[in-house]
Amino acid sequence: MDITESIQNSATVLGLAGRLDGLTSGTLEQKVDALVAGGAKRIVFDCGQLLYVSSAGLRVFLSSAKKLKTAGGSAAFAALTPAVREVFELSGFTTMLEIHPNAAAATAAKP
Amino acid sequence: MSSANLTFIEEIVLLALDDETGALLPMPPLAFRYALAGAAICDLALLNRIDTDPDKLVVLSKEPTGDPLLDEVLTAILSVGSTLRVSGWLNVLSEISKNLEAAALDRLVARGILRREEKKILWVFGVRRYPTVDNQERTEVRTRLANLILGDDLPDPRDAILISLLCASHLADKIFAGREFKMRSERMATLAKMDLVGREVAGIIDVVTRTLNASLPIGM
Repeated sequence: MDITESIQNSATVLGLAGRLDGLTSGTLEQKVDALVAGGAKRIVFDCGQLLYVSSAGLRVFLSSAKKLKTAGGSAAFAALTPAVREVFELSGFTTMLEIHPNAAAATAAKP
Repeated sequence: MSSANLTFIEEIVLLALDDETGALLPMPPLAFRYALAGAAICDLALLNRIDTDPDKLVVLSKEPTGDPLLDEVLTAILSVGSTLRVSGWLNVLSEISKNLEAAALDRLVARGILRREEKKILWVFGVRRYPTVDNQERTEVRTRLANLILGDDLPDPRDAILISLLCASHLADKIFAGREFKMRSERMATLAKMDLVGREVAGIIDVVTRTLNASLPIGM
């Protein structure tokens, strides 16, 4: 999985491309931990190029959202592909997490 | 792993026991077996030995975990050599659930959390019970999960797994039985569906229960 990073409207946008599973979720977790330790308060996970999310991937998404909330920040998820939306809906993540149609909407939103 | 480094298998066993009598709390038929099988899968998942999605369970690493019990589970998975859905693996691993339960009880006794007691029923039938010695562990996890259910915070993945397994096996009904929890049934349902393995355990137990009910004579 490739992770790109940019800043939009004071939010850190992490663009995820490929597969988020047990082999790649550790990398994303380390990235998020570093951002939170560095003071990031708003992280948007742009899932527009994310083809697949496993249970391990969902756990990293959940733990990231929790870590940010604990640190006084927030996480948002944007541009869910059909495959990702399906597992989000199965797991109830669509009711528990902040979801937006695209990264621009997510970065513009006031959490 | 879990609080105080308990595995999910150990936590489910601990929470499934009545605090005072040390007997298993009532559960639907086979629920405990499937809950332990699910707990074992979740333990391996958090150790990055396996991963799951709605269609399959995949082995990420064959490297031993260092925990003999979890290594037994990993060996069982590797020995089958097939790609199964999580529900299929729950059926496979439920066959070794007695081993999981026994090993977990031994560990909880060794940690000083439970003690082993041999009792006689009607002076004849020997039964083994596991009354609590140190209730701190159980109290801590119950309090943490209760706060999660009654509040609106995001769960951490460990707690999402625990609640999912407890709801699936109907242990949550017994542990969180107060009126304040009944008013939060929607929240419990939302938390329960957050983990795939827990959802699969719930599905299997539902099928088993309905199948058994359908086979009962009319009027029972």
